[in-house]
Amino acid sequence: MKGDPAISRDPAAVLRDLLRQFLLLELWVGLWVTLKNQFRPHITVEYPKETVDLSPRFRGMPRLRYHPENGEELCIACHLCEVICPDDCIHIVSEKKPEGKGKRLVSFEINYERCCLCGLCVDPCPTKPLTAIYMSHDYELADTKREGFVAPLKALLDGSQQKEYSE
Amino acid sequence: MSREFIQTVGIPTIQVLIAVMVVPLGIAYLQLVERKVLGFMQVRLAPRRVGWHGLLQPIADALKLIIKEDVIPAKADRFLFTLAPILTVMPALAALAVIPIAGRPFILFGYEIRPWISDINVGLLYLLAISSLGIYGIILGGWASNSKYSMLGALRSSAQMISYEVPLGFALIGAMMLSGSASMVQIVEAQRTAGWWYVAPQFLGFFCYLISAIAETNRVPFDLPEAEAELVAGFHTEYSGMKFALFFLAEYTNMIVVSSIVTTLFFGGWLRPFPNVESIAWLENGWLVVGPLVAGLFAGWLLDQKMGTGLRLMFAGGVLGTVLGVALAATDVGGWASAQVPTLSGAFWFFLKVSFFLFLYIWLRGTYPRYRYDQLMSLGWKWLIPLSILNVVGTGLAVLVVS
Repeated sequence: MKGDPAISRDPAAVLRDLLRQFLLLELWVGLWVTLKNQFRPHITVEYPKETVDLSPRFRGMPRLRYHPENGEELCIACHLCEVICPDDCIHIVSEKKPEGKGKRLVSFEINYERCCLCGLCVDPCPTKPLTAIYMSHDYELADTKREGFVAPLKALLDGSQQKEYSE
Repeated sequence: MSREFIQTVGIPTIQVLIAVMVVPLGIAYLQLVERKVLGFMQVRLAPRRVGWHGLLQPIADALKLIIKEDVIPAKADRFLFTLAPILTVMPALAALAVIPIAGRPFILFGYEIRPWISDINVGLLYLLAISSLGIYGIILGGWASNSKYSMLGALRSSAQMISYEVPLGFALIGAMMLSGSASMVQIVEAQRTAGWWYVAPQFLGFFCYLISAIAETNRVPFDLPEAEAELVAGFHTEYSGMKFALFFLAEYTNMIVVSSIVTTLFFGGWLRPFPNVESIAWLENGWLVVGPLVAGLFAGWLLDQKMGTGLRLMFAGGVLGTVLGVALAATDVGGWASAQVPTLSGAFWFFLKVSFFLFLYIWLRGTYPRYRYDQLMSLGWKWLIPLSILNVVGTGLAVLVVS
């Protein structure tokens, strides 16, 4: 760059550069940018009061689905998500159905303290066309007690209630 | 009590009290303005939670600082640790004494009230002396904290302030030579006689002063003493609560003082632009803008509340108010110009200019990254000192040739 003999520079360019430096042109450009920015609409939101729109494929906390027709849980207690979970945060207890084939859930727990929200549990889920476990749009993970992070079946099915914030 | 006693002692005392009480309040809101402007420059929302658009945020901050525990580190020098913030804030406030807000005294209840606390004939010298005292507080604070970050911050600060004190002083000498006086009031009056603000003949001086002043007040881009990325918080790392608030107060008071000095020396203090051109004498009525502006803003805001239009109508009201105010001032409806209210007129122009420089401080902070330490030193010693000396020599020659 400066003083490099390999790059021959014509005097006009040298003069122009010198003038740029002398008139502090770059500094003025910077000031102009910040001045303009003041009049742009803000892009941040006041979080608890308003939230940003999530994209459809947003991976929030994993939740369970109800059966869309009969309102029972969709999960068939196959334990595949429990097996694939890299954090070992899913814990399923199941029993044989009293009548008919298959098993049903006794309890289904996800420990959100351990969950890394990777979404691997959704991939092997065998129910079609909807997977029983899915990545929801809930993302408010904070709680005041450790027990609050272990979500039982009911919470998993109903999802978190959107918290209301007032002024 | 005799009238004379009240005139010579009572009124200045009241003025001092007003200055010492009003300035911190102004600073609290200056800080809110700074946070707001910085927020807007970074395309985000600034404080909004406390009060309408964050208007009560300074109060909340002040309350927090007052209530907060006042920690003194175990190994710190207790006496100096307590003394340091006081030593920093006192010179800063004392410097306000010689700054003239408006030109002519006015009469209230038969007493003559001057729009400055004191007009001493060595005003400029006093300012220089006082402003260089503030550094003791910073050095002592950094040393007494007994912490390496504070120590480094204080060291940097002392080196920086000593380096920049020189061009700061030299830059002011030009204006002093042109006016032939060191009294702040006399300097402004000389600018009226000269017919132009001293920024025109003293542009180099103004430029040097502005840069050195930013360095002297430890503001971005010269905020090395409190460079948070390297030094946690520099000299006030160990300070909390009210002691921290005092350092904070001192920094912002210094900003106001420095802006006032620039305004007084280079931008004609309370004078309107082109103080000798009669055809724009209506600018003296500039303060008439304030009324319609505030009224327009308020009316727009009320309408906004009713119609739920955000702040658009408030903005429109402000523009309308400004236009109306300028028209009012220009056409001189109601004979306000002939009424001649020089104090109000002067104060308006003075505060307008000071506000611009305060905004400039914030603007620079929102724009520039911090200097590296060696860059700071080379800028000061290799550029500003030669330039300001050149300015002194050039001004001297010009004054000699003209006279």
